[in-house]
Amino acid sequence: MNNGNGRRLNGETEEDDDDEGSEGDLDAWERTYADERSWESLQEDESGLLRPVDNTTLYHAQYRRRIRSLSSQATTARIQKGLIRYLYIVVDLSRAAAEMDYRPSRMAVVAKHVEAFIREFFDQNPLSQLGLVTIKDGIAHCLTDLGGSPESHVKALMGKLECSGESSLQNALDLVHGYLNQIPSYGHREVLILYSALSTCDPGDILETIQKCKKSKMRCSVIGLSAEIFICKHLCQETGGSYSVAMDESHFKELILEHAPPPPAIAEFAIANLIKMGFPQRAAESSIAICSCHKEAKVGGGYTCPRCKARVCELPTECRICGLTLISSPHLARSYHHLFPIVPFDEVSPSVLNDPHNRLPRSCFGCQQSFPNPGNKPSLRVACPKCKQHFCLDCDIYIHESLHNCPGCESFRHSKSPIATEE
Amino acid sequence: MKFQIEDVTVYFPYDHIYPEQYAYMVELKRALDARGHCLLEMPTGTGKTIALLSLITSYTLSKPNNPVKLIYCTRTVHEMEKTLAELKLLHAYQTIHIGDRARILAVGLSSRKNLCVNSRVLAAENRDSVDASCRRLTASWVRAAAVANPNLPTCEFFEEYEKAGSNAVLPPGVYTLQDLRAYGKEKGWCPYFLARHMVQFANVVVYSYQYLLDPKVAGHLKGPEGISIKCVRRLRRRFKATDAGRLRAEYNRLVEGLAQRGNLPFTDNWLSNPALPDDILKEAVPGNIRRAEHFLHVLRRLVQYLEGRLETDNVEKEGPVGFVASINTHAGIDQKTLKFCYDRLHSLMLTLEITDTDEFLHIQTICDFATLVGTYTRGFSIIIEPFDERMPHIPDPVLQLSCHDASLAIKPVFDRFQSVVITSGTLSPIDLYPRLLNFHPVVSRSFTMSLTRDCICPMVLTRGSDQLPVSTKFDMRSDLGVVRNYGRLLLEMASVVPDGIVCFFVSYSYMDGIVNSWNENGILKEIMQHKLVFIETQDVVETTLALDNYRKACDCGRGAIFFSVARGKVAEGIDFDRHYGRLVIMFGVPFQYTLSKILLARLEYLRDTFQIKEGDFLTFDALRQAAQCVGRVIRSKADYGMMIFADKRYSRHDKRSKLPGWILSHLRDAHLNLSTDMALHIAREFLRKMAQPYDRAGGSGRKTLLSQEDVEKMGDGILNEMQY
Repeated sequence: MNNGNGRRLNGETEEDDDDEGSEGDLDAWERTYADERSWESLQEDESGLLRPVDNTTLYHAQYRRRIRSLSSQATTARIQKGLIRYLYIVVDLSRAAAEMDYRPSRMAVVAKHVEAFIREFFDQNPLSQLGLVTIKDGIAHCLTDLGGSPESHVKALMGKLECSGESSLQNALDLVHGYLNQIPSYGHREVLILYSALSTCDPGDILETIQKCKKSKMRCSVIGLSAEIFICKHLCQETGGSYSVAMDESHFKELILEHAPPPPAIAEFAIANLIKMGFPQRAAESSIAICSCHKEAKVGGGYTCPRCKARVCELPTECRICGLTLISSPHLARSYHHLFPIVPFDEVSPSVLNDPHNRLPRSCFGCQQSFPNPGNKPSLRVACPKCKQHFCLDCDIYIHESLHNCPGCESFRHSKSPIATEE
Repeated sequence: MKFQIEDVTVYFPYDHIYPEQYAYMVELKRALDARGHCLLEMPTGTGKTIALLSLITSYTLSKPNNPVKLIYCTRTVHEMEKTLAELKLLHAYQTIHIGDRARILAVGLSSRKNLCVNSRVLAAENRDSVDASCRRLTASWVRAAAVANPNLPTCEFFEEYEKAGSNAVLPPGVYTLQDLRAYGKEKGWCPYFLARHMVQFANVVVYSYQYLLDPKVAGHLKGPEGISIKCVRRLRRRFKATDAGRLRAEYNRLVEGLAQRGNLPFTDNWLSNPALPDDILKEAVPGNIRRAEHFLHVLRRLVQYLEGRLETDNVEKEGPVGFVASINTHAGIDQKTLKFCYDRLHSLMLTLEITDTDEFLHIQTICDFATLVGTYTRGFSIIIEPFDERMPHIPDPVLQLSCHDASLAIKPVFDRFQSVVITSGTLSPIDLYPRLLNFHPVVSRSFTMSLTRDCICPMVLTRGSDQLPVSTKFDMRSDLGVVRNYGRLLLEMASVVPDGIVCFFVSYSYMDGIVNSWNENGILKEIMQHKLVFIETQDVVETTLALDNYRKACDCGRGAIFFSVARGKVAEGIDFDRHYGRLVIMFGVPFQYTLSKILLARLEYLRDTFQIKEGDFLTFDALRQAAQCVGRVIRSKADYGMMIFADKRYSRHDKRSKLPGWILSHLRDAHLNLSTDMALHIAREFLRKMAQPYDRAGGSGRKTLLSQEDVEKMGDGILNEMQY
């Protein structure tokens, strides 16, 4: 079982010390064996038989736990959410990012999921902006400035995928702090650090930097790729962020996507204030104009700033000429559901299911598929606590993660009003 | 929470209790019922202290006609403070529940250095000089002189305390050292003397075990004290300046026997020494040393004799009987005279009104030595080594009186108290202790830790990644392959383990050697890319500095490795909990230096007296040390850590089985006989798993936190489960 282990490499390089560190000299058969790790998808059951890991129930259990933890924060008080976020993603590209415990390497896995995250982020937070920072050779570089276009971020990141040297948390924090300190006070300053290394090699006292970040209300979150590091935990605790360590690739994906919905606003920071925004009109298809963002002449598309009439290519953004925040109304509407999340559905307990006196609906209210026989596996359905309709697990996930409306409650509301007028 | 253990209602200050704490209390209660001694082993971080305190105080409450006085001995002042703080919490809880009936008096007693509030005295740098400067201000003759001459300095706190007389008592409550100082300052009473006075009335006393064990024997037990020629010479000069007049007065007192000691001013009495046989107190001081000048002659002859013995070229070993006989023939001092040296010196020092006792430490050492040699005929031996074995060309004669029998020191304790509870995280194998200490416990149990997750991960590593065995066995330790494999192990581990790593080596010389060769190989440099390296040295100041910097490096995320030595200062008392120690590597089996004369003498004694085989004792001792070392990394249930035993000998059953139960129960078969790459894989998985958020109360199945209802429901089922 251990032969296929990727760490075998070290053993080999040790035997012939002259070509040290050449990791790619595995035989082809060995590589497929090591890459696929087929043994990891097997587990032993009670009788000692090997079975494939049943991922669906596991996945659902994880999802339920997440929903519950989210709602436990939300239901206690009406939490104000930071809808206008200014997020910097810090990607650690130090030597440790080349490690191959994630396939093909940590760096590639991180890049892949950062791409997905960026798209998801703009989908969920249309009013927010994002920037990228990398750490390499102990120095932090700003890859892209804060901006609202997913494409430019993804392109910049994919072009720069190589790693070397030490990692420095302090340098990265200092750099990001410099940028985020300038943004207006209504925006939420956030940093998400994807950390491969196990240590940080800093020029000064990192604890001071952490205090500085805390003072300027930066919420720093870290996702580690290998193990829990004290300083990261400390950073997250101090600044109110979350710290998590990925077990494997799918877990990493889950963890990074958890950062897509807006976090609760920091209490003393959450003063209601009015923000001036412009809702530009889409320009006519055939018109030709020089856009202010790329300084290129473009035919059609684009939007015109209502205040200075400059042309911009994409929304949301900030007008280059007059500095007005430009968005469209669908963007605002899409941010709305974060403020009024639907309550998590309750699991229907097996005792209710087995009770012959209770007449339960036979099919899911959402997709109209009939529930499987509740004989062998209990609790395969959930119920909305408001409208008492039953749903299957797939619909449960779909409603909470994509639809953000309960079909039961909605139809109830619609059917109720005609009845009221009839009587 | 409040629950019933048989006929005792236990008040426990927390809402939840660990199952092993409950089991611990049950066993402890049975031992108290049986009025016998007991040995209880429970891993660190499971709350032994609070379990013990709450059971014993509750036991007293339930049986008011049988008051129990608890004397809790700790090793360090820090532990003492922690214990008292726990007791305070417990006391507050009990007072809420049963009101005034729960009233107790608990005091901590420590040396003057920790309790003194007089700023002039505290200015002295070490313990002995604080003692001496206190005595300079408070000794009865100094105070008597101060009455006549008000310019003489006295301690105002002590004066106030004396003035208050019998009114100077502490109201009931729990007093930490800090509280005592604060109370003393407020009232203007000396906290040290107040605490010493209150010890007689207190229900709970917390102090260092040194108060309980005879300081003379204890000193020799721990590290046999060396007497070198230089000290002896310096002492002799001291004697010459003595005061004839006062000596004569003292002689008159001594004629009436040692019982006269009671007539000396009360404030100056010494804590009575428990290890001396009773008859010595009843007997009178022999006539030939009653006169001070005679006593000085005796001492001078004794010192001369010792000096003569030290001028030898060979290592000599002798039993006390032979030694005493040879003193008698060469110096003309008989056994009885020797036996009284200790008391006679004390009496002399009181008479001479010597306050700077720290200056006389050396002569006290000699007198202690003489008394011990005179008192005990077995269990000790005298070893004279003309030079240090490492440097045979430099003459450095040392005379050691080494005690082979730990039971001698602790015997008076067992005799004096109804129940002696010995409890620790590492007592395995638990059946050897009663034999070594020569007593019969009514209860001896080892408890495992109930965990919500497998937060310790012991591994036995027997091979390097090239599959060659690794060991610190004498014939293998200098093998380049072994050295390199150990180096690679550390290097690989440094690249996957975050924050702090602690390494223990078998000895200073081995550590020096291996670190040197790692340096030559360039391995050390590679390690430094991942983590900073700190090394323990024999210099205490240097080591403390290294430890501070190690902690700093762990705190700021740089990561660090600490190289330390089993049986060293670091292995004994310094914790590497949380991120300060995510991994501990034990390089080799820390056997004692088997060529040491003292060890050989002790082994021989153990074989002859207790029928303990040499091999058994050595293995027991080595494995206990190893467990002690690796146990440093985990101090609570929320913590986690890995332990690597890197030696092929650990995979043998006779060695491994001597580890404590709480380590063995986590040592799975799959983690035995590992090679470096396999260990690395396990480490990665373990660290990832431990970094996940977890549920403290324990989810399904295993309950690790019991609420009040759980405890009430629970029968004996859980007890059987916990016992190991």
